[in-house]
Amino acid sequence: MKSAAAPAGHAGAPARGSGGHPAGSSLLRGLPLLPSLVLLAVFLAGPIVYCVYDAFTDAQLTGAAQTHFVGLANFTRAFGDPDFLNALWLTMVFVVGSAVVGQNTLGLALAVLTEKATRPVRSLTNGVVIAAWVLPEIVAGYLMYAFFYQQGALNDVLGALGLPRQNWLYTLPILAVCLANVWRGTAFSMMVYSAALGEVPRELVEAAEMDGAGVWHRLWHVTLPVIRRSIMTNLMLITLQTLSVFGLIYAMTRGGPGNKSQTLPVFMYQQAFQNSLIGYGTAIALVLLVVGALFSVVYLKLLKVEED
Amino acid sequence: MRKKLLAAFAITVAATLSAAGCGGSASGSGGNSIKVVYWQHLDQNDNKQQKFLASMKTSFEKAHPGKKIEVVPVTASENDYYTKIQLMMRSPSTAPDLVYEDTALINSDIASGYLKPIDSYVKSWADWGSFAKAAKGAVSSPTDGKTYGVPDDTDTRGIWYNQNLLKKAGIATPWQPKTWQDILDTARTIKKKLPGVTPMNFYTGQAGGEQSTMQGFEMLLYGTDAADNSLYDAKNKKWIVGSQGFKDALTFVHTVYSENLGLSKPTALGPNAGAEVGTKLLPDNKLAIDIDGSWMANNWLKTGPRPWPDWAKTMASAAMPTQAGQAPGRVSMSGGWAWSIPAKAKNPDLAWQFTKAIKNKDNSTKWNIIESTTAVRTDVAADPKYLDATPTNKFFTGLVAYTHFRPALPKYPQVSNAITKAMESVTTGQSSVDQAAKTYDQDLATAVGSDSTAKGAR
Amino acid sequence: MATTDLRPAATAGTGGRGLRSASAAGSGRRRVRPARIAVNVVLLAVCLAFVLPLAWMVLASISSTASFELTLPSPPTLDNFHAILNTDTTFRPLLNGLLLCGGATLLCVVVSILAAYPLSRYRSRLRRPFLYTVLFTTGLPITAVMIPVYSMFVQVDLIDSMGATVLFLTASALPIAIWLMKNFMDGVPIVLEEAARIDGANAMQSLARVVLPLMWPGVIVVTVFTFISMWGNFFVPFVLLLSPEKLPASVSVFTFLSAHDQTQYGQLAAFSIVYTLPVVMLYLLLTRKLGGGFALGGALKG
Repeated sequence: MKSAAAPAGHAGAPARGSGGHPAGSSLLRGLPLLPSLVLLAVFLAGPIVYCVYDAFTDAQLTGAAQTHFVGLANFTRAFGDPDFLNALWLTMVFVVGSAVVGQNTLGLALAVLTEKATRPVRSLTNGVVIAAWVLPEIVAGYLMYAFFYQQGALNDVLGALGLPRQNWLYTLPILAVCLANVWRGTAFSMMVYSAALGEVPRELVEAAEMDGAGVWHRLWHVTLPVIRRSIMTNLMLITLQTLSVFGLIYAMTRGGPGNKSQTLPVFMYQQAFQNSLIGYGTAIALVLLVVGALFSVVYLKLLKVEED
Repeated sequence: MRKKLLAAFAITVAATLSAAGCGGSASGSGGNSIKVVYWQHLDQNDNKQQKFLASMKTSFEKAHPGKKIEVVPVTASENDYYTKIQLMMRSPSTAPDLVYEDTALINSDIASGYLKPIDSYVKSWADWGSFAKAAKGAVSSPTDGKTYGVPDDTDTRGIWYNQNLLKKAGIATPWQPKTWQDILDTARTIKKKLPGVTPMNFYTGQAGGEQSTMQGFEMLLYGTDAADNSLYDAKNKKWIVGSQGFKDALTFVHTVYSENLGLSKPTALGPNAGAEVGTKLLPDNKLAIDIDGSWMANNWLKTGPRPWPDWAKTMASAAMPTQAGQAPGRVSMSGGWAWSIPAKAKNPDLAWQFTKAIKNKDNSTKWNIIESTTAVRTDVAADPKYLDATPTNKFFTGLVAYTHFRPALPKYPQVSNAITKAMESVTTGQSSVDQAAKTYDQDLATAVGSDSTAKGAR
Repeated sequence: MATTDLRPAATAGTGGRGLRSASAAGSGRRRVRPARIAVNVVLLAVCLAFVLPLAWMVLASISSTASFELTLPSPPTLDNFHAILNTDTTFRPLLNGLLLCGGATLLCVVVSILAAYPLSRYRSRLRRPFLYTVLFTTGLPITAVMIPVYSMFVQVDLIDSMGATVLFLTASALPIAIWLMKNFMDGVPIVLEEAARIDGANAMQSLARVVLPLMWPGVIVVTVFTFISMWGNFFVPFVLLLSPEKLPASVSVFTFLSAHDQTQYGQLAAFSIVYTLPVVMLYLLLTRKLGGGFALGGALKG
């Protein structure tokens, strides 16, 4: 794309040529960014830089008057700490299980199905799924606790169906928190995909239909490639959101039993605020940041083909 | 470096915000007023302290015209309460003048320099002589020996049992076990004779936090041979690893849960075990023996969460025995809270005046009765008004003679966490007693540094 | 795969909503009946699964003996609501929450629209690095930065200030808001602006007159999204505000739970309902303006 304005209809490519403008005006054009930049620099960048510094110290909230620079000690401690490695692993399970597989697939499925459903069913589905999404996190946490509780609703249903009752929060805590996150977060993916599917040209689907392509074939070879960018963006956003989920898990299991549902944000909270190890806690938070960045880089690599 | 970084951000923020026109409200402690911060429990019905402090404020302000007391509750979980007061005490502008401190954590805050030594104040306070020695020990620093708070209340721990259930199972009452074995044997009898009744409650697991460590594990550990030195050797300043006593205590936990003598594992390991025991199982006559704190009756008072008029007829108490009945035969653990003056308090003198007022004999008695906690003043402990206020006060106050305090060191919370982890792994059966003890030794070394540990007796 | 070729020129930017419903209706009419019935049945089953957890909240709130068990209240009672509907427990915290979260959401939306415009319309070598740096920070749990933030607020005497807390909440929600907003704005074709430009409008005028009206669905999504995340945030107000009378509803949820005594499940459920209502109302209000639909992401394409 050269300096000319984007061709008509090329909505995906935001571009305005810089040719013809004097260099000084680019500063002026960036002016609307200023309020954001100031807010981000002061309230987020500042504390984050400070956190990065803290991660290399033995800072404590209580228990010591002095803080020392300890180099990489917090990080070497983390990677030698079986509890940290456990938390890292569970974080991966949680993100892949509840976001990449759970929310993403269910969201897509619901979007595809609601397109084909009758109007009242479509509205009902949308309403119910979104209701779970608008609940405050802590409320969702208690509802999910009650749902998976030994004498809770889920087991009532299983019992009524003649299926074995499970003590979900005890025997399968990570599955329970994954399902909880699917319940709470699927609406986001569903909305993204509903909008995306609306832009799949009907002629294309119908042409494939004429050729005798089955439902799955159409979905896989026609629809999904068209909405690929939406898939990638959705994955990136839900991954980052799921990575920092804390309240939901904390309300449901406190990371337990033992450390069987202790993801990195929960582990970080316990180290930083229960054990007052601010230095160690922030080091863990930084690892979490890196994990998020790694996921994003993977998605971006997959996206790259289409980025102008 | 930290200071400079912070200052740089601070200046930017100040510039931004003064431009935006929003300033913070200045805190109100001047020369004639103080700010008193305490922990408001996460239970709306429990506003005893709120009412008590409000009445103290009123009478103090009346007796000292021109002085103002601002009482600020922090409503949060215990953990978040500490986070908040520690943050507040870090800077002069937010530091309260008087703060409510758990004696188990007070040493952490002393080590951080958050608190002010009050030796010069207590020296000239006649009442100071009436405070129990053990309680004074809990508020003084092991490093500089100075006093950092006035003890507010304490508690002891022992065994609660349901007389009717024990009788039904054919066990003679009053019941006083002599050894750990006695407890297990009685529980086994109950299990056999009374199906549907949980024989005993022994707190365990990480979700229970300090409840598991203190009402549970330490009641065993401090009854082993090493007694006061079983967890921490104060003389040599070493944490104990690899001791037989530690393993024996874990074996007890393992026995309780592998033989299903305790609560169902999910309940025991869940975050609500305490409420389940106090407000459901015991008053429902579904639990026979409970190793728990002196405050349990609070659950059953008219004002409590589960009123139970018959509790005094049904429940009786016994002391926790030492492992094999070795001298002194009984064991108990104590904690408690204290009033401390932060180092950065603006008006420590007035804060001290107020402390003296709320901790004089009359008000101490009133408070111990309201909250049914154990008295820290010996004169209150001998007062019939206090002793008769709750039927069990006398018994649990008597346990003060056998009680132990936790090593109130900055690292203690991490050690406690490691203990609950070991308990949890033997409760679930995830690891054997030996494995769990080994993991604990490693966790301890990570938490306190391996040069601060010493091998215990085998 | 060059997906852009497949996108018909006419649909771009005008929002996928209208088109989607049209196509759905169109294709629906020609669907074979049994398949459609099957789809409906599957969706109803999903609905049931999603509704079930909500059932506890409703039943417990009108029960006098609530626990975490799912039981029918006998008889139903409004006592729980009576117990919580007072100034200290509910009204003041809700009002504080509305001030804090409402103010921060408004600010966040305005500021992110402004930021999105240059990011969407002008090319710069800094744009991508900036966007992705901003995006990565959303993966950081906000609890991690609260201690430096507290120290900072204390130094400049902003602790316990609602205004400053609003600014911090705004900043913490900005990364994702800017990111979403920029993507929505990308969906508005630049040609439409050209006309306004020819008429002599400057950048801000064409943003206000041409771009904003077209990306209204996106703005609403960002608004709801921002508000929800703030409304549930407990730790930020808890740390930054000291006076109990300034604390929002997210902090007072915790007053129904207690570590040592009985949790008041019925009141917790009742409060949860009251606490959730503002978000639901905001959502309904904003989407009603769009004609009942929702359109996250016509432009969420990368």
